[in-house]
Parts: sequence; structure tokens; C-alpha cells
Amino acid sequence: MEGVGRRRPPFRFGSRRLGRKCRVATESTTDFTLDSAAALAAEEHGEIEGKSPWLLAWRRLRRNYVALGFLALFVLIVTACLLAGPYADHIAKTRPNEGHLGETFTRDGKQVQIVSKGGFVGDEFTAGGIPVGPQLWHAGGKYVFGADNQGRDVAVRLLYGGLNSLKVGMGSAVICTAFALLLALLAGYYGGWVDWVISRVFDLIWAFPVLLLAIALGTALAINGFHHFGINIEGGSLWIPTLVISFVLIPYIARPLRGQILSLREKEFVEAAVAQGASPLRVMFGELLPNVASSVLVFFTLIVANNILTEAGLSFLGAGVQPPNPSWGTLIADGQDRIVTAPWLAIIPGIAIVLTVLSLNVFGDGLRDALDPRAKVRMEH
Amino acid sequence: MTRRLRLIQVVGLLVAAAALALFAAGCGGGGDESAGGENGGNAGKTYPLLRTVWESPDYMDPQLYYTVAAYQLANYVWTGLVGYKHVAGSEGATLVPYLAESMPTISADGKNYKFTLRENLKYSDGRSVKASDFRYTIERAFKMDSPGVGFFSDIKGVSGPNGYAETKKGRIAGIITNDAARTIEIQLDQPRGDFLYILGLEFAHIVPTGTPASDQSTKPIPATGPYILKSYTPNRTIELARNPNYDGQIPTMPSGNPDRVVATIISDPVASYQRIVSGQADYNFNTVPNDRLPEAQSKYKDQLRIYTNANTYYYALNNKLPPFNNIDARRAVNYAIDRNAIISGVYGGLGRPTQNFLPPGYPQYKKIDEYTFDLARAKQLVQTSGTAGATVDVYGPQSGQSRAATEYLAGQLEKIGYKPKLRLLGEQVYFQSIGNQATKAQAMFTDWYQDYPHPLDWFDVLLNGDRITQTHNNNPGNVDVASVNKEIDALKKIAEITPEVNDRWAKVDRDLMVTYSTTVPYANLSGTDFFGSQMDMSCYTFNVVLYWDWGLSCKK
Repeated sequence: MEGVGRRRPPFRFGSRRLGRKCRVATESTTDFTLDSAAALAAEEHGEIEGKSPWLLAWRRLRRNYVALGFLALFVLIVTACLLAGPYADHIAKTRPNEGHLGETFTRDGKQVQIVSKGGFVGDEFTAGGIPVGPQLWHAGGKYVFGADNQGRDVAVRLLYGGLNSLKVGMGSAVICTAFALLLALLAGYYGGWVDWVISRVFDLIWAFPVLLLAIALGTALAINGFHHFGINIEGGSLWIPTLVISFVLIPYIARPLRGQILSLREKEFVEAAVAQGASPLRVMFGELLPNVASSVLVFFTLIVANNILTEAGLSFLGAGVQPPNPSWGTLIADGQDRIVTAPWLAIIPGIAIVLTVLSLNVFGDGLRDALDPRAKVRMEH
Repeated sequence: MTRRLRLIQVVGLLVAAAALALFAAGCGGGGDESAGGENGGNAGKTYPLLRTVWESPDYMDPQLYYTVAAYQLANYVWTGLVGYKHVAGSEGATLVPYLAESMPTISADGKNYKFTLRENLKYSDGRSVKASDFRYTIERAFKMDSPGVGFFSDIKGVSGPNGYAETKKGRIAGIITNDAARTIEIQLDQPRGDFLYILGLEFAHIVPTGTPASDQSTKPIPATGPYILKSYTPNRTIELARNPNYDGQIPTMPSGNPDRVVATIISDPVASYQRIVSGQADYNFNTVPNDRLPEAQSKYKDQLRIYTNANTYYYALNNKLPPFNNIDARRAVNYAIDRNAIISGVYGGLGRPTQNFLPPGYPQYKKIDEYTFDLARAKQLVQTSGTAGATVDVYGPQSGQSRAATEYLAGQLEKIGYKPKLRLLGEQVYFQSIGNQATKAQAMFTDWYQDYPHPLDWFDVLLNGDRITQTHNNNPGNVDVASVNKEIDALKKIAEITPEVNDRWAKVDRDLMVTYSTTVPYANLSGTDFFGSQMDMSCYTFNVVLYWDWGLSCKK
């Protein structure tokens, strides 16, 4: 037993039935950047005996200023997006899909064309259609990040787009993680033909490149929606990209979880629970689930970032959020046609995606290190 | 068969009428338009190779292709009995005999056309061109379900339950040929004023008897024109070379200046623009993207030509479904559209606003100036129509400027009190979808580029209520005004274009656009021809039907 006694999975939350707290021996006094061996050594010195695993994780996490800094950035982004409505109504005074072609706004007492005029005067041609650039605060909160080729306020669309991207990203992460966990528990606990069937389904989904499968499903459902099995989802609904992304990513979470659960299934504490007459549900949700909770949590944070990227890709290709509704992906797609004359149209939502994904990834890594210094959880495609 | 038909020689009449009538002014290239005489003044300035960047054609088979990308190249490869004069300006819409030795004799009732083929005509493979090849060509079009077969529906023996269109067996009774005498007689069920233009279409370009009735795009069909299709690799290249057996057999057509044409297919407009800028190609078929237009205008002004051909971009409103079965609702949309703003914002200025259905340049065109952009009035009309708050499914293509134009329509509908739902479809299925009644599209983007310069190609094909179909409907707005349908049918039978006839067509336009406000035309768009610095721009010739006439191009 490698000299550390009954090595169990690090955390066994809620294992009340067996009446034993998980014996995590020590809390790491080292910085989170130390390797897992050092962390384990610290734990074994008994410095953290008696502390709950969540408290230990929080202690580790709160020393990780980089992770917390990026968490703050993510919270800031989410808060800004949540304030999209008030910003649009009271500051920009426009709606996200409201075009203003042919209109003007006031800047420094002068009327400025929102989208430049062009056309023919006689046979003389003048190129037009160039939207006004970022005004920052020079126009009283209007067109802070400029306008697009329909004369829509980019800042308003950026915030609403962010809201949509986050809704899809987080919504799909919740659904994907929940289903992945459920299937992994079933496959891991029952094994045998149940495991075989579930694993083959995973193989089937896995056989398709994620983005291609998502594009195929997204394109097929984007127009007419989904109207089967008593479920009615309209074509332009955000539920379409949310469910599509959830579906295609399930194996990427479920497979590693299944592996962990298969391993846990053979442990003595599970055998003990079974021997004491625990029902399968009790074992799955009372014994196995708490032991993979940390992995699930880490997966969740990482997959939110991944899903935001996937949504952006799908929307960029027209298979995600449907126009005129904004998302960061559609904003980039709209901007690419004006990359020379109005580069901000593509760059600003691009920056928003980078910051959001970066913040979630860095925080996710920090969370993983805090929850389980020995873990090697990675989102890999 | 009774032959008490007073045959008249109509060559002079047709040519004169067309020259007088069609594309009088304004329609055609901006900038240089080197006229050029019969074969253009540039004929004979040969050079070895023209390198172009091209859009992917649909087919390279004359009975199948229906895109400008194919037509602009292939009009020098396969030819018909008649074709267009290769000159710039309004005269370019004039029909002249190509494989026929002269314009046909047409019976007094307009139902009988007689042609004689030129002598010693040869295909590029050395075979002789026979009169019976014409009949075979039309029959082949039917056998292949060519998109152009509708144009031939008035030929005797084509329509009806036992017609060739249905059975595809035997022969088309209305086409009588004599190989020895080289004569072709075409009999129609009813007179059709635009029939000669139909014979100029690619679908009537003659191919040898026995050519398989299946797509031959990649197995080039022998040519009758000055060039042959040497090879076509879909999505890669198209290559044309001189026809070894041409020998100037169509004197009304230029022999072409480049010895060889290589068209590299690049659909991305930015990449194709870059090809020209970097000197890798001599001509860009694709329109310069809005984003690069200011640069092209300032840095490459001499290499850029902007032209306006005959097209109309319009929003179709479903006249048979609420809310647009109400005339005030349709009027409201006409007032809610800021046509200048769309052209600037969506099309980068490359277009001219219009409220007419017929494009300017047609002699039948009389400018309509009825709908000044007025959002308040539009809202009021929506209120008075009692349709405020109605949900409207707005259909449009999924990408590009067409999508932006559709988004604009949806935005304006929302502003005037409707609840638009945007439904964007892939380009490949878009027109098929809105042309299907089951789609129940209420408002939609659409456009039209002329097949041939005649008002019938606009009003009869697109807005004649008698031609509404369940699927493949070219009239997706289901415009159906009985009095106008009747007038179109009456005008269809008139071959001769006179000022009175022109006035009647102009009234059709006004009735449909103003009196009944059936449709929302908003722009006649322009395109660009962008050339490499090696090209001699003094040779630039833009034909209103054939587009840039590359056969008349020359290099410095």
C-alpha cells in the first residue's frame, strides 16, 4: 500500500453511511505551484487534519492570486453582459438589432453619419458603407465601440452578444456535464453490457470531429428547429446551439469520468457499501459521485470556456446563434467583411472571447490545483 | 398545311427596332466603352494568354448552364442561330445572325420562323453543322430537364399532355429541318414577341446530334464559336483555346484576341482581388469587395471599371398571405425602405436606387418616384391597415450582402409595427425554398438579372399571376393582378416594339409597383471589372448582355 495506508480517492464527500471521514492527512503548506508530490507530503504531515476538503481547496485557491484575478475578470465580464439591457436603454438608447442606416448622431455638436454615404452622382462613383469608428465617450455613450454596416451600436451588440454567448456556453456546460456524469455513473457502476452500449455511443459521437458534427446538427436545426418527441424548439432559439454543443461534447467529459468511476467501483469502500445493502442509486450518488465531484467541477469550468469557443465557431459559420441576434461569433463574422475599413468590428468581439476564455481557463486550472493537487484533469480534444 | 402566310423579311425591322429601343442610354458600363464596329475596333490585337480569376460556373454545358460565370466565357464557345452584336453601348443588345446566314423570315401572324444555316459550318471536331442539330439541341434540353426548357414551351408540339415536354419521345413537331437545304422552320402555338431573344439564349446553342443528353461539362462538347472549351475542372480551372476549325465562319462575331484563356476559380472575392493586385492574373470576374473598393478606387483607378447591367433587387411581399394581402401594408413597406441607405450601407454605394421593377436603360422604362422614405407614414399605414403586430417570416440568404439586405428589411418591419422573424437559408436552397408555396414566406429578399433584353423576361416570368406555381415559383410574392396579367398576355403577342407598346409596358410597371404596390424594388446594382496592370484599358468593351467582352480585350 505504498506506506500511506488505505489510499482512497482524495475526497469522499458525504460518505456518511460508512461513518468515516475521508482521511486527508495534511494540508499543503506549499504554494499551489508545487508539484502534487510536495502537496501530498505536506498533507501527510498532518498539518490539515480535521479540515473539510472544500475548506482545504479554498485555502489553496485563495493563495492563487492569478486564478482569483482571472475569476474577478470573468465576474466583471458576466456583470457587464448582465447590464446589457440598462446600458442599451439608458446610455446607448438603442436596441441590439436596431439598424440606423441613413441616420446621424451628434458628436461635439456636429452631426456625424453613422454609415458613410456612397453611390453615384451622375457617373461619378463614391465608395460608401463605412461605419463610424469607436467614439468611446465622445458621443454621450453612443457608439462607444463604433457601428456596424447596418448602423447598429457595436457596444450594445457586444454586451447582448456576450450574454448570448455566456448563456449558450454555461447552459451547454451544465447540460453536458450533467448528462456526462449520469452516463459515466451508469457505465462505471453497472459495467457489462450497459457500459458497452454507452461506450459505443460515446465512440460514435467521438468518431466525428466536434466542430463538423456541431455544424451539421446546428445547420440542420437552425432553420426549422426541433419538433420531435413532444419537444418544440424554434429554429432561431438559443436552445439549439446550447443543446447541439452539449450533445457533441458529452463523451469528452463522460469518458474520463467513466474511467475514474470504473476504478472507484473496485475500491473497498464501494464493496463495503454494497455489502451493507446499499442500493445502486445510493452507491452511485452516495459513494461514487462525491469522489468524482472535484473532477466534475474542474471539468465544468474548463468546458464552459471550451463551449464559448465552440459557440463562437458555430455562430461564425452560421450554425449557432442566428442573426440578427448577436453573439460574439456572429459579430466576428459580421466584421470580417470590413476587416480593412472597419477592423474594430471583428477585433472587439475577438478580444471579448479571448478574455473570457482565458479567464475561465486560468481559473479552471487554479481550481483544479486547489481541489486536487494530484489530478491531471485536462480538457483535451 | 395552309401556307397563306404573308411572309415578310424582318431582318431590317428587328435590328432597327432593337437598336432604337433597347438600352438607349445609361445601361452599360461606366467609364470607357470602346465601341468598336462590327467586330470591335480591337479585333486583331491578338495575344497569347488571358489569365483570369473566375467564379465557379454551374455547368459548362450549353443546355444546362444558367449563370453569368458560365455564360460570359461560353458565349465564345457555343453559338446559336442568332446572337448579340459584340459592341459596347445600347447597340450591344441588338440581335444579329450567328449560325443563321440572315435573320429569319417571320410569318405575318408571328407564329412561323424560317432560318437558313450558313454554308460550310463546322464544329471544332471537324463535323459539319446540320440543320437537324438544332432540333436535336432543343430536344436534348428537354431530355436533360434543362432550366431553360420553359422558354421553348410555345413551340408547337411541346406543351400539352402529349407534348414533347411531357413525353420526351419522338420529335418536336414544331421544328422542321432540312439538312440538304440547311433550313430550319420553327412553328409556334401562339406568337411570342421575345422569341428571337429566346433563340439567342444558351439553351438554344447548337450541339452535334448524338451529344449525350447528360451533363457534359467535363467532357467538352464540340464548339461552333471561335473558341473551344479545352478543359473544365470543377472548382479549379476553366481553359479555353482557339477553335482549330473556326476559320471565321461567323462573320458577325469577333474571332477573339487571346489565343488561350485560363480561368482560375476562386470564389473568395478578397483572394481574387489580391490575385490582381499581386499581378498573378489579368482580370477579376468577382466584384471587388466593399472593403477594398476605396483602395481599388484610389490606387488602381485606371484598372477598375464600374458597370451597371440590367438587374433589379427587390423585396417580394406575399400578396396572398396576411399581412401583405393588404395593399396598405405593402405600401407601408415601400415607404419604410430607405433605398439610398441600403445602397450605401449594404452595397458600399455600388448601385442606384429604384422604385421601378424594370431596370433603367430599357426603352419601356419610365421612372417611378412615388415612395419617399417616410417611416412615420409607413407606421400610420400599418395602423390603418389593421395589420400592426402581425408576425412576419422574413426570408433571405444566409450570407453576404443579401443577408444584410434581409436583415435591413426585418429591422424596418419591426420599426413600423410588425414582429419579424428572420429565416436565413443556404444559397443553394434559398430560391427553391421561397419558390415553394409550402414555405409560406411572407416577405423575402430576391433579385433578377435579365436573360434577354425584353420586358417579358421581367413581367411575364416574375409577376404574371397566371404563371404562379406550387413549386419552383418565380413569383414568390404571388403577385396576381388580373388586369395586369391580361395586359402582359396581350403584349406578349406583339413582336414589334413601338412607342405605344413601350408606353403600355411602362404602365404595367407602374400598375404593379404603384397602383397595386405589389412589390418593393429598391436597387439596380453595379458590378466591377478589375484588371491587371498589363491590360490595355483602351480596349475595354462592356456589352449590356454579354458583360465584359474579353474577346475584344488587348494587352499593353
